[in-house]
Order: sequence, then structure tokens, then C-alpha cells
Amino acid sequence: MAEDVHKNPEVNGSKQPFPTSAKSFTAEDEAALTEALKRCSPATIEAAVKFRKTGDPTPVPTVVIGIIERFAEPDQRARLRVADDDLRLIEDLGIDSLTMMEIVILVEDALQMSINNDELRNLRTLGDIKIFIDCKVRGLPPPKPSRFLPIEHIGAVMPIQPPFLFLNEATIGSSSASAKYKITGDEFFLKGHFKDNPVMPASIMLEAIGQLAVLFLIEGGHGEEGKQADPQTIYFTGCEGVRAHRICKPGDTLTISIKPKRLKMPLATIEGQIRVGQEKAVYVEEITLTYGFREAVAQPVPAAVPEVAAPKAVHSLPAAAARIISPAAV
Amino acid sequence: MSKVYITGLGLITSIGNDLASITRSLRELRHGFEVYPPFDQPDVPVKIVGTIKEFSVDSSDPEDWVFPKKYSIKREILRGLAPNSLFAYCSMLQAIEDARLSPDDVANPQTGLYAASGGSPFLTHHYHERMLKVGVMRTSPLGIVASIAGTLNFNLVAHFKILGASCGFSSACASSMHALAFACEEIRTGRQQRMFVVGAEDCNTDSILPFAGMRALSLQTDPSLASRPFDVARDGFVGTGGGAVVVLESEAEVARRGVRPYAEVAGWGQASDGYNVAISHPDGVGLHLAMKLALKSSGCAPEEVDYVNAHATSTPIGDASEIKALKAVFKTPGARPAISGTKALTGHGLSLSGAMETAFCAVALREGFIPGSAHISRLDPLCDGLNILRTTVAEAPKVVLNNSSGFGGANVCTVLKQVN
Repeated sequence: MAEDVHKNPEVNGSKQPFPTSAKSFTAEDEAALTEALKRCSPATIEAAVKFRKTGDPTPVPTVVIGIIERFAEPDQRARLRVADDDLRLIEDLGIDSLTMMEIVILVEDALQMSINNDELRNLRTLGDIKIFIDCKVRGLPPPKPSRFLPIEHIGAVMPIQPPFLFLNEATIGSSSASAKYKITGDEFFLKGHFKDNPVMPASIMLEAIGQLAVLFLIEGGHGEEGKQADPQTIYFTGCEGVRAHRICKPGDTLTISIKPKRLKMPLATIEGQIRVGQEKAVYVEEITLTYGFREAVAQPVPAAVPEVAAPKAVHSLPAAAARIISPAAV
Repeated sequence: MSKVYITGLGLITSIGNDLASITRSLRELRHGFEVYPPFDQPDVPVKIVGTIKEFSVDSSDPEDWVFPKKYSIKREILRGLAPNSLFAYCSMLQAIEDARLSPDDVANPQTGLYAASGGSPFLTHHYHERMLKVGVMRTSPLGIVASIAGTLNFNLVAHFKILGASCGFSSACASSMHALAFACEEIRTGRQQRMFVVGAEDCNTDSILPFAGMRALSLQTDPSLASRPFDVARDGFVGTGGGAVVVLESEAEVARRGVRPYAEVAGWGQASDGYNVAISHPDGVGLHLAMKLALKSSGCAPEEVDYVNAHATSTPIGDASEIKALKAVFKTPGARPAISGTKALTGHGLSLSGAMETAFCAVALREGFIPGSAHISRLDPLCDGLNILRTTVAEAPKVVLNNSSGFGGANVCTVLKQVN
């Protein structure tokens, strides 16, 4: 049905990339684009016009961030300007699922592309959106969506357990992972570190980065299809270039993130950092773990239905959005 | 059975956007009509509208709307509103303040909300057009909830965190009177302690001009002649919109909160014409029966009624039906209530009118005056024997009958009583 009413059916299908040899962008198109983006910053409009005129994807992130900014409540906009790619639209920015759809509709309109419901479900962070739109305008397949893992899942798969587990929740992407840990003040070691002055030990913060790397490997971050890292084989081997920038105390929420540098069984080397809000707390150039695979390959996952099939992966939109998206519930 | 009291009012109308200015307009018979600029075209024979002042809601984009600064409304709320639900939202804020309700009084399982509107044909048109133009998946995700007839209850229930009974009523121009009547039942039977009754309509080309097709609108170009119920030369109604919220509370709540009610809703009645889809019964049989039932349920005799706020839209046929029904009800000697039609001042607010005119009656009961029926230069001889009040009188009515009729021959009447 959509094809019947769209002016440009050839760019309508969700799988279709934006044609970089775009047809001429008329003054009328520019006026419509400017009108559609009238509540966005001038820089956003300028970037959108440039993209539509040239097909050059460089200004696309500016357009996308500008559109998200337009829909965010005014008091949240400052966060968006300094935010990194881990910023979550729903949880951190307070953007609800309906606003998410308003954002998508305006992005579609501005960039002349279509985003379908399944794709929309996987967009959780600013980084997800940037990468997704970038792939889309370049005509590349979108990356595997990142997956949110609640504490229940983390506790079930990790070889490390409380009271020595320093991950409350995690998000695992195809080439990065992030996690959060809130220092409660009840951690047993804070009684002695230090006397009458509880400070999270830097060694424990390195441990948290290492634990996220362990989780990343267990969740398939090693990148070898059909193989599973065996939790019983993962151990620390070394680290390089550690710098601590900030004292972390009870009440602080650590945002832990890692990126793999080299991955080849039996060694995985990652780069990691911890922030508290926007403040850098710990940086480590390299942590290296050793790991092995399970002997037998456990239950192959059917390739045609990746993460979306598992309930744990459907996390991007709250129930309200799912209801609205599902025609059966109308 | 609990008694039911009116304890708060909120109004956005063509004759004022707050109780003080509306009371003055009712006392001084100041109308709210203007030549409506969008009708200023040769092929539009209708010219006059009961416009809503201080609001500019002509854009299909709520973020373009201009409304009084005292109503600060977040984008998150605005995006799901139609002009009618904006009027209702503002009326709701007024009513909550007027009734001195705390947030806990508003959001609890004992407090509900019944609403009535015809939806927003303006936004429905806009969203359908956009769907056809830019694509099915690129229409506003809130287009439906903003534009269909339930927009008032969807929005107000969500934004004011209503936890009790809620629904919408659809009986055209009798809708918000039905809402009021059934809200009374919720309180009388003890199912709810407090009800918000909401009526609201857009006030624009799409909500008003379609009535021209059935020749129901006045073609007068003079704002002070266009709406003149009971005048022999009346030639149709004048369209209007706006919002009205009436707060109803149980006896127990009135006592607990120590508030002074405007009036008691003493009873109501309804009956149908069973006659024509759009034309009222020539003898007003349904309205006649509805008035009788309302009086019976309130325990009042016809001669006790001091004032009738007539439905009186200023159409030739509709007013004639009502005149005959009134004559049939008030035929006993001594039954000679003052009768007026306040649509002479406001225009016809369609679904809104029942709640709006209930609010006017409540003001008259509390302030102690009876508004006159404006713009009559030659009274229809059919009114012989009825006391059609031509000017406002400073007499406090004790018992007021309020009439409301809608398409399909629906008739609802309520009886309001003075509270000592």
C-alpha cells in the first residue's frame, strides 16, 4: 500500500539505500525540508540540505542529533550536546516510545528513507542510531543490534558472582560493550578502604572493566560464529597503561565501557574506561584475558532469526510502543 | 441515594474565558460573535461564528498554537491535543482551581471523568491528507488520539491521572448533557464520589461549515442578528466551540471538603423522538417527555420552576418544537417560568452546549440572576403564553430546568436547585 501513495517508490522500501546519485534537489524540495525541520537548529537544516543536495553522508549525524534535540525536553538538550554514544534515549533522555516515533518520522522525512518497525525496536542508544543511519545512507546492512542484559542474565552466565560482581546491567554490541555499576557503600572492602573514608579501589575498578570483558566474550564478542567461550577458561593475564583520574565513592554510578583491540583465541585484548556522569574516572589502554572455547558447540542459533527471537533482546521500546506497533492490539 | 452538587466550573467560550467575564456577558447580554475571516469568500454564504478569543489554533501543528500564558502545557501533552481538547484542558485547570481540588482529590479511584465532543474534523482531515501525501508510516503517531471523538477523555484522563470511571458520550448536541446525567448517576449510586463532566468542540471551518449543507446555519451577516432564538425571523444557528468542565460531587465530599456548591443537580430525564435522523419532532414529543421525567425525578412540580434554559438554537424548526414542548409542560396555571436561550449570546456549541449551559445555570443560581434571551426584535407569535425573558433580571431562581436535544431526536433535561 505504501508504494501506491509514495512519490518515490524506489526509495521507499526499507532495504533500499539512499540513492547517492540522487535526483535533483529542487528549490521546492528545499523549502519543504526547511519547513519540516523548522523547529531544529539552523545547523541541522544546513546539514540536511547538504546531504540532500550532495548525497554525502558526512552531515547525517548532525541531522539526526539535531532532530533528537528538537524533540527532547528543553532541560535535557544540554545532555545531548555533550553526550557520548552510550546515552540511552528512553532511560537517560526520557524520550518515550511515541516521541521516538516522531523522531523516526522526521528523520525519514529529512533524509528521504524508511525505517521499519523491527529496525526501530533495536535502536536504543545514540550510538545505535548514528551507526544505523550511517549504514542506511551508505547502503550497508545495519550492524547487529546491541543487546541489553539485566542483572538476572549477568548473574546467570558469569563465572564471577556476588559479592565480587561489579556489573549491575550491561549492553553488548557487536564491537563494544558498556555496563553500569552503582557503588552502594555496602561493599565489604569499603570498610577498610579507607578507614572512615570509603573509596572504590582502583584495582576493583580495573576488575569491573575486566568483568565486562569476560561478559563480552561469553556473549559472543570474540566474533567466531558457532563457538562459545567457556566461562571456566577465562583468566586475567595482564594490563598496560592504567590511569586513574577521579576518586569514586558510594553513591557514584560507574559507566564502564570496553572496545576490543585484538581478538584471537586464546588471547583477547581490550581497551577500557570508566566514567561517572561525564567525568573520566579510569582509563586502561589494554587488558588482556586468556580464554578457550567449549568443546561441543551448544545449540546453534538459527541464522535467520538472530537476537530478536530471544525475549531478552527485545528491549528497545517499552510495552506501550509494542502495543502501538502491533496492529493486533489496536 | 447521595445528592449531587456542582462544586466547580471551568469555561472557554465565545463570551469569555473565565467565570467573571462570562458572568458579566450573561448579565449584560454581550454576545461573542464576529465575522469569521475564513468564511469571507463569495461561495461561503455563512459569515458569523462565536469565536474563541485569546486562542489561535488554526495550525495543524499544536506547537504553533497561541493561548493564554497562564496555561503552560508541555509539548509532550500538546502533541496529542486537538483544538477542542486544548479548550477542555484549559477548562479543566480552571475547574480544578475553582472547586479547590488537590491533586489527590483529582487522582483517586472515586473520581471519574465523562466527556463529549464531535472529535476534530479539522485534524482528521489533516492527518488523512498527510497519510495520502507522504505515506502511511509517516503520519503523526498521535494523529488518531488527537482527532477522533474520544480525544477529550483520552487526553484528560491520562494527563490529570484520573483513576475512576471514564468514557465518552456521543449523542450530537445532547452529548455533554448525557455525560452530565450519567455522571450524576455514578454519584447518586455511590459508585463515584466526584465526576468531571467535560464538553468541548473545535471552532473552525471544518467543525462548523458542514452544517451549512443541511441549511442549519444562519446566513445573517450582522453579528447581533445572527443568533436570535424565539424571534420570528430566526434563520439558523451560529456555530461556536470552546470547552466546559462541570465538577460534580457527592454530599459527603461537599461536607468533607467544606466547600460551597453552586447548585444541586436534583434530577434528570431523557426521551427520544423516534421520528427523524436530523429534524426534531414537530410537536417536541421527546423533549416534552424528557422535561416531565426530569421534573418527576427531582420531585419538582412545573409551577416550582423559575427559569428554563432552553436548547433554543435559533433554527426555525428546532425552536418551534421546543416552544410546543414547553407549552405542553407548563400549561398548568401558575407555571410560568422565565425562559431564555443563551445560544443567542454564545452560538451553538454542539456537543459542548449541555455542559456549557449547565455551567451558565449554575452561575445564575449562585449569583442570583436570570439571563435574558437576547436579540429578539419580534417574538415568534408561537410563543404566546410563554414567559420569554427579553432582558436579564436580578431575581434569584430557586429551580432551573435545562434542556438539551441532539440529532436522532435525543432529548435530555436536568433540574438544578439553589443551595442555601
